[in-house]
This record gives sequence, structure tokens and C-alpha cells, in this order.
Amino acid sequence: MNEPIIDITDLSKFYGKSRGIENVNLEIGRGEVFGFIGPNGAGKSTTIRILMNLIFPSGGSARIMGLDVVRQTKEIKRKVGYIPSDANAYSYMDAEEFLTYMARFHDVPDAPGRIRELSERLELDLNRKISDLSSGNKKKVSIIQSLVNSPELLIMDEPTAGLDPLMQSVFFDLLRSENQRGVTIFFSSHILGEVQMFCRRVAVIKEGKIVQVEDIDTLRKKQLKKVFIEFGEQADETNISIPGVVNLVTGSDNAMSFMFSGDINELTGFLSGRKINNLMIEEPSLDEIFMHYYQI
Amino acid sequence: MNYNLFIREIRRNAFSLIVWTGILTFLITVTMSVYPVFLENQSKIMGMLSIIPPEALEFKGISNFSDLLSVLGFYTVNNIIYMLVLGSVYSIVLSSNIILKEEYNKTAEYLLTRPLTRSEIFRSKLSVIFINIMLLNLITSIAGFLSIVLVKKGTFSLNAFLILSLYTLLLNLLFASAGLLISTAVKRPRPVTTLCIGLVIILYFVFTISKITQSVAKIGYLTPFKYVDTNVIDPAYRLDPVNVIYFICFTLFFLVVSYRIYLRKDIYT
Repeated sequence: MNEPIIDITDLSKFYGKSRGIENVNLEIGRGEVFGFIGPNGAGKSTTIRILMNLIFPSGGSARIMGLDVVRQTKEIKRKVGYIPSDANAYSYMDAEEFLTYMARFHDVPDAPGRIRELSERLELDLNRKISDLSSGNKKKVSIIQSLVNSPELLIMDEPTAGLDPLMQSVFFDLLRSENQRGVTIFFSSHILGEVQMFCRRVAVIKEGKIVQVEDIDTLRKKQLKKVFIEFGEQADETNISIPGVVNLVTGSDNAMSFMFSGDINELTGFLSGRKINNLMIEEPSLDEIFMHYYQI
Repeated sequence: MNYNLFIREIRRNAFSLIVWTGILTFLITVTMSVYPVFLENQSKIMGMLSIIPPEALEFKGISNFSDLLSVLGFYTVNNIIYMLVLGSVYSIVLSSNIILKEEYNKTAEYLLTRPLTRSEIFRSKLSVIFINIMLLNLITSIAGFLSIVLVKKGTFSLNAFLILSLYTLLLNLLFASAGLLISTAVKRPRPVTTLCIGLVIILYFVFTISKITQSVAKIGYLTPFKYVDTNVIDPAYRLDPVNVIYFICFTLFFLVVSYRIYLRKDIYT
């Protein structure tokens, strides 16, 4: 990887004694579309808020385009667009006034043209008061303000919340075209489907720590299998004593299912000599892979 | 300082400034319009005042009946609550909201992710506070001066009037810096307006109690109102350097502490 556009080293944030994130390490290359997934409270927003200098790290460091996120935040923000997960635009302004106000901070040469272009693409009425906009339209305003300065890096915290499926599709098309012109995208979400569809690489964060950084394809191709067995006789086993079995669920009709990441030969050895009515070994969905990481 | 932010804040706060200035100007001019009637009926009014306990008169700011006979004394006694208390309420409400409202209105996520330093945001907003308070004081002082000129029957000390106006400005700036300190020090973003208004009123109440109750006279020194010399009738009335230093030191201290807190504050919305 060339010099990473985002370089996070041992980054930690504690709120008093409670943990925000702990020793997070992450490198994201230029031009990547990178997913950052984890459930609520895992530390996604904390990481992003440190990158945007809204909060300060307790330890470690983070650099964007080689610049320190604490000491050189102004230079960074010239080149970064940010979509917050939960923010309000100034309710007394109309959409155009707000977007023009935001653009002025960046000295965008043709701000009205850029705002018009983006608003037409997202079908946003610029003359409406912010306070009168629906949550979906407010999200469109947020998307436009993040792109108005034609950033090199786009950091998004749960950006699709509030957008209807049709508009999500338009939004992802817009992001793809931005990515094609070289924009790096750092995309935080707890919706795996959209990460799977849109991102090429992903980091899984769990309880403030990165547990996995993988290509989406590699993640899918991992040895993790979803196994379903229906025995043709009374199954005595309430547990399977071979390594790699998690999420074991036993049914009342001699059936059981589990996720398996161990040696497949050990599994077939275990099954040999038993009467089996049905056996299914299949690729798990990304959701199931994700849940697996949360249980190991 | 950032010009874009500065202009927006000036516009945003213009309506509030106009309303507060209008109300204070109205109260001052209406009060001063009574002065000629007061002079015409001074013997009756003095008779009425003489049956009121001295403590109650002191509570109103009247130490000596004769203070009321001079136009500047009348102006000071009758307008002090507007100039000092309401002006301070305006100042502390303005300053306590100007930064904190970005947090509790959840607009900080946008403002603080523009290419701006925290220092630029603080300085831009501080400039707006300063300009608004200066304008409020300038306009109300001009209104007070014109009212005095229109109703006076003799001469008055312009110097004393200017000193009183300067004390008012210093007091307002002190409360503004206190408001900034409170708003930057709070961890969770929520409005602190009630707390700030309460602070001004309680301090004024403590100051008043200290004036009328000899046994607790010293607690008056805990309030900034004590350092505003309102004895404009005294021929030796002057700007006390100790008082000026008190205001400047506390104002600067509050500002510096607020600034340093804000530079390292975690912003939650």
C-alpha cells in the first residue's frame, strides 16, 4: 500500500473509566472504499469523531493524508467531506442558504453550480426551510454539504439512515462516481448488506477493538461454514466436541445447526457411523460471518 | 477570526440585540421623562419617602434623598436595575449560548468539521459578543445622555456619567466572560440560560442584602456589583483603579480559562 490516506496507530479513547475504543490500528489506502462495521456502541462513531477532531484521543495517534488529526485538523478538513450520523443543519436557514454557508468556509470556486448539480442529482428542493424538511431530505442536505468542496476523502457515519431504498441507490451511484474520480470513501455502518454491496475492504470493530480487517471477498471465502444436520436416529449430543463449532443450536427433531470454522475432516469423522437424514454445508451470509466475529 | 462565521453570528444575534436595546432604551427614557414631574412635586414625594424605612430605600438604591434631586442621581437610582442587571442578563445569556447552542442544537458537527480551528471559532464568537455588548451599552448610554440633557434643570457632570457608563460596560463584559466559562465548562450539551440568569439575579440580591444589613456587609465583596461605584453625586466621584483592575483581571481570567477549555473540549451532540 502507498502512503495510507488514513493511518490510525494504537488509538484509544476512554470516557472516564469506561472504554470508547482501545488500541485501534487501521490503514486505509487512497482510492479505497472501506467499510467500518460494528453494532451500536462498538466504537465506530468514537473513531470517526477523533478523525474529525470533534473529540480528543486518550492515547495513540491518527493521521489523515500524513497530517495529524489533532494538530493539523484545519488542513485536513479542507480536503475531507464528512457526513455525521446525527446532526442538525441550522433550522432557520433554507437548504440553499445552509449549503452556501458551508461552502464559503471552503472557498469553493463555483459553489452555487456545485450545490445545484448535487441537489438535482439527489432531488432536493433547495428553497425549503431546513426545519420543514423530512429526515430523508435533511440527510440529502448532509450528503451535499460533504461533497460541496469536492473532497479527496469522504468520511461517513451511518450515512444511509433516513434515506428510502430508491434514494439509497442514487446515493450509492453518486458515491461510486466520486470514487471513480479518486475519492477515498470511509463508510461506517451497522447494515452489513450495504457494506457488502458497496465496500471492497472492511474492518470489524467489537467492544472498541478491531477484530478483523479483510477484503469483503476474502471474508466471504473464509473457511467459516454454516452446517445443518438432521440425524436419522436419536441424537445424544447436546454438544459437539470438535474445535471450531460455535452457535450450536439443537432442535427437538434430532436436528442441529452451527457455524463451523474447524477442520472439515474432523467434522466428517465425527459424522461417520451416524445415521443422517439431511446434511447441509453452505456459505454463511455476511451477517452470519459478522455475528461469528462477535462470538469468538 | 473567520469572517464567514463572524458575519453569520452578527446576523443571527441582531434581532436579540435590537429587542434588548429597544427595551432598555424605552425603560430609561420613560423613567427619565418622569424627572420634571418629580422635581415639581419633590416636597410631596420626599414626604412620602420619609415614612419608608431607610433599609427599604437602600434596597432601591436610595442612600440619600437629595441624590434624587440631581438629574444624574435620579438617572442612576432609577435606572440602575436596567443598566446593570438587565444589561448583565443580556450579556451572560448571549455569551453562554453562542458556543454552547452549536452543541445542543447539534450544529457543531457541521461547524467544527469545516476548515477552521477551535481558536478561530472562539475568537469569531467572542468578537460578536464584544460588539453586541458594546453596541447595547453605547446605544443605551446615548439614550440616557439625551434623556438627561432633555430633562435637566441645571448642570450635570458629564465625566461622572461617562464613568458610570464605563462601569456598566465593564460589569456586562465580566458577566459575558462568566457566561462563556460556564458554557465551555459544561460536559453535556444543554442550555444553561436559566442558570446564568439566576447567577446574575442572585449576585445582585446578595449585593443588595449586603447594603442594607450591616452584619453581612462584607459579603457584598463577593459580587461584582460591589465594584460598580454608583455614588455619582459625590464631587470626588472618579474611576477607581482597584475596581477597574478587578473587572479586567476577572474578565481576562474567565476568558483565558474558557478559551483553553474550548480548545481541548470533547464535543458531543
